Amino acid sequence: MSDHAGAAEKQMNSRGALARRQAALLRLSTAIAAAHDEDAIYSSVVTGLRDEALGYNFLGVFLLDPETGDRVLQASVGWPDVPPNWRVHRGEGLSEQALMDGKLHYTPDVTRESKYLPSLSTGSELDVPLRMDGQTIGVLVVESAEPDAFSEDDFEILTAAANQAAIAVGRARLLVAERLRADEHKALLDTMADLSAELELPRVLQAVLRRAVSLLGVTGGEVAIYEEESQELQVVASQNIGKESTGTRLKLGEGAMGSVARTHEPLIIPSYHEWLGRSTKYADVTVHSVMAAPLLIGQRLVGAIATVHSDPERVFGPEDLRLLNMFAPQAAIAIENARLYTAAQRQKQYFEEVLQNSPVAIVTLGRDYHIYSCNPAFERLFGYSSAEAVGRNLDELITTEASRTEAEQYTREALDHAVHGIGRRRRKDGTMVDVEVLGVPVIVDGERVGLMGLYHDITELLSARQEAEAANSAKSQFLASMSHELRTPLNAIIGYSEMLQEEVSDLGHAEFGTDLEKINTAGRHLLSLINNVLDLSKIEAGRMDLFLEEFDIGTMLDDVVTTARPLVDKNANRLEVRGAERLGRMHADLTKVRQMLLNLLSNACKFTEGGTITLDAQRRADEEPFDGEAIVLSVSDTGIGMTAEQMDRLFEAFSQAEASTTSKYGGTGLGLAITRRFCEMMGGDVSVQSAPGEGTTFTVRLPAMVAPSPAGATAK
Amino acid sequence: MPKILLVEDNEMNRDMLSRRLERKGFEVMIAVDGRQGVEMAKADRYDLILMDMSLPEIDGWEATRQLRAESETQKVPIIALTAHAMAGDRERALEAGCDDYDTKPIELPRLLSKMESLLGAEG
Repeated sequence: MSDHAGAAEKQMNSRGALARRQAALLRLSTAIAAAHDEDAIYSSVVTGLRDEALGYNFLGVFLLDPETGDRVLQASVGWPDVPPNWRVHRGEGLSEQALMDGKLHYTPDVTRESKYLPSLSTGSELDVPLRMDGQTIGVLVVESAEPDAFSEDDFEILTAAANQAAIAVGRARLLVAERLRADEHKALLDTMADLSAELELPRVLQAVLRRAVSLLGVTGGEVAIYEEESQELQVVASQNIGKESTGTRLKLGEGAMGSVARTHEPLIIPSYHEWLGRSTKYADVTVHSVMAAPLLIGQRLVGAIATVHSDPERVFGPEDLRLLNMFAPQAAIAIENARLYTAAQRQKQYFEEVLQNSPVAIVTLGRDYHIYSCNPAFERLFGYSSAEAVGRNLDELITTEASRTEAEQYTREALDHAVHGIGRRRRKDGTMVDVEVLGVPVIVDGERVGLMGLYHDITELLSARQEAEAANSAKSQFLASMSHELRTPLNAIIGYSEMLQEEVSDLGHAEFGTDLEKINTAGRHLLSLINNVLDLSKIEAGRMDLFLEEFDIGTMLDDVVTTARPLVDKNANRLEVRGAERLGRMHADLTKVRQMLLNLLSNACKFTEGGTITLDAQRRADEEPFDGEAIVLSVSDTGIGMTAEQMDRLFEAFSQAEASTTSKYGGTGLGLAITRRFCEMMGGDVSVQSAPGEGTTFTVRLPAMVAPSPAGATAK
Repeated sequence: MPKILLVEDNEMNRDMLSRRLERKGFEVMIAVDGRQGVEMAKADRYDLILMDMSLPEIDGWEATRQLRAESETQKVPIIALTAHAMAGDRERALEAGCDDYDTKPIELPRLLSKMESLLGAEG
């Protein structure tokens, strides 16, 4: 074909060619509009534009790989034997020029170009840049089998086509980004929904992992929980990592998760096998690359998450890390929540267990005094099932009309502070039960939400106490009547022996006097023992009363000294009385004070021979712990004294320091016990100071003004 | 010779005390319970009455109150005889109208001094 003829043909064809070009552009526009993603757009571009008549024989779209500078083929038509994603390396081929300067380049005869890749048999080539946001992202290559096939008109139409394609690609990419964000958003929402819907931790973590794996587009992954006690990670969720790893334990530093658990930093491992050091231990590992992140609550490690690619072509990048970091806090919160929940649950179970098994009946009430819950012991004690009791007013349920007011008072008080008492309550069958009641307010977060009642069945306790009291009372009664019955004949012995002494003296039979004296003395001793037993039994039975009167202390002491005189003289002792003058009067039980002093003097005389016994009396204004004035009476001797051990049991009934002492010195060992009880009844006390061989001092302290006390109250 | 009424239900106590008092120069008349004691006191004139408190029929306190209520026996000195350790007996005795009290078993010198002081005041 001659040049001229060619030009003429072109000229002649130009009108038809214009129509064909516009038709090609329309095809392209229509195909692009129908395309759903980038790949479809590129296919649309090449297939839509292809027109043999226009010389658009071979078409391809390359995108620039920004990392390598290579051009990667996205779609092509007409090129035989071209692999998908064919790479044209940097510095090769004609189309690089358009990529570099962003302009259209026309090569009328490619065979003359050194950079031409000879595998494609073409004549001319047109390279049109794909520009987006001022950047050249790729190039549209259009080749004709003929050299010099393209004109300005082609330049125009193909530039328009490239622009349309670029716009469509931009739109498609936006759509993908938006879809990804929507997916992320949905995955997050779904994860949160999992967190709130699912309480069982492994299932929550499995769900979190499933979403992470799906969003990241990875092969699989694992989640492990950190156990503070063992300082180990335990895998609780795993997906597609080649083997079932759930239950596997990892030490800190072991494996990818162990590493991030130790460093608290995320980690990307491009080649897991190299990273592991090709240990045979991990021969079965099929993963290629790994990305792991610690699960932290604040600074505290709660676990680790890892995702893996088994495809050697795929590597993890910053975008993947961003996505993983989105899931890590979710998993961490799930673990922490589960931990808190488990702890709370365990505590709740613990208390419920205590409540269920408590032998004490326990009932909880709301602020309206209606029963909120009760335990099995409550059901057993009162005969109401939990279902019957709940919702009822407690006091209406288990009290009688007679005791309701008092019980309601208790209940009201228990809402404010702990109350404790003993009362009778009614069972479902109408029988009554004696209970010890403890009521306490239930305070949650500083708010009084109600109260709790504890009932302890004291029927047996009460009957045991009544039996004990009855037995004790019988004992006291027995002792009292025994003493009384013994005393009557004893009085006769004492009286007649005394009378006989007088008579034999009058009649001049002095030789009988000594024996009669012995009968009389023995009788008096026996009488004093009986009197002491009687006193003590009365005290123990709570029947010893105080008879308070005002009396002159000096006179009382004179009286005591006169009575004690024969005892003092018996062992050749000397009695000194100090401070008896000007002591004034006191208000107390005269008989008991006198009896106490006689007891102490009698003891002192008994355990002292040829020594000195001192009776000292003082009035003190500031004696602790007495409120008013105190009268302090002490009896000291220079006798044999006592050890600390002997003093310990001194004031107990029927205990003399030693059995041997009893045989030597006589006495019942009741005098000091009685003395102490009398002191206590009058609000005072008695104490002893002694050391072996250094004598003994007994000190009685009494209020100068003894207060009347409820009968028997101080005697117990 | 002072004339004494001894109201005492226990035979041995009665026997002992009456014999000892008689030896000390008293004329002693005996009543065995409260009722008899009151009857005898009203029927005759006594210088002093020794009144046991725990008596059958009517007890010593009641007997004393009855005697104090009668004009002829209102002023007769009465000494209550109470059991030892029965604290409260003596207060009740004084409340009932006794002039003094003494505890059993009887310490004769102590009782005699109490009797003498009352008889002295009387005479």
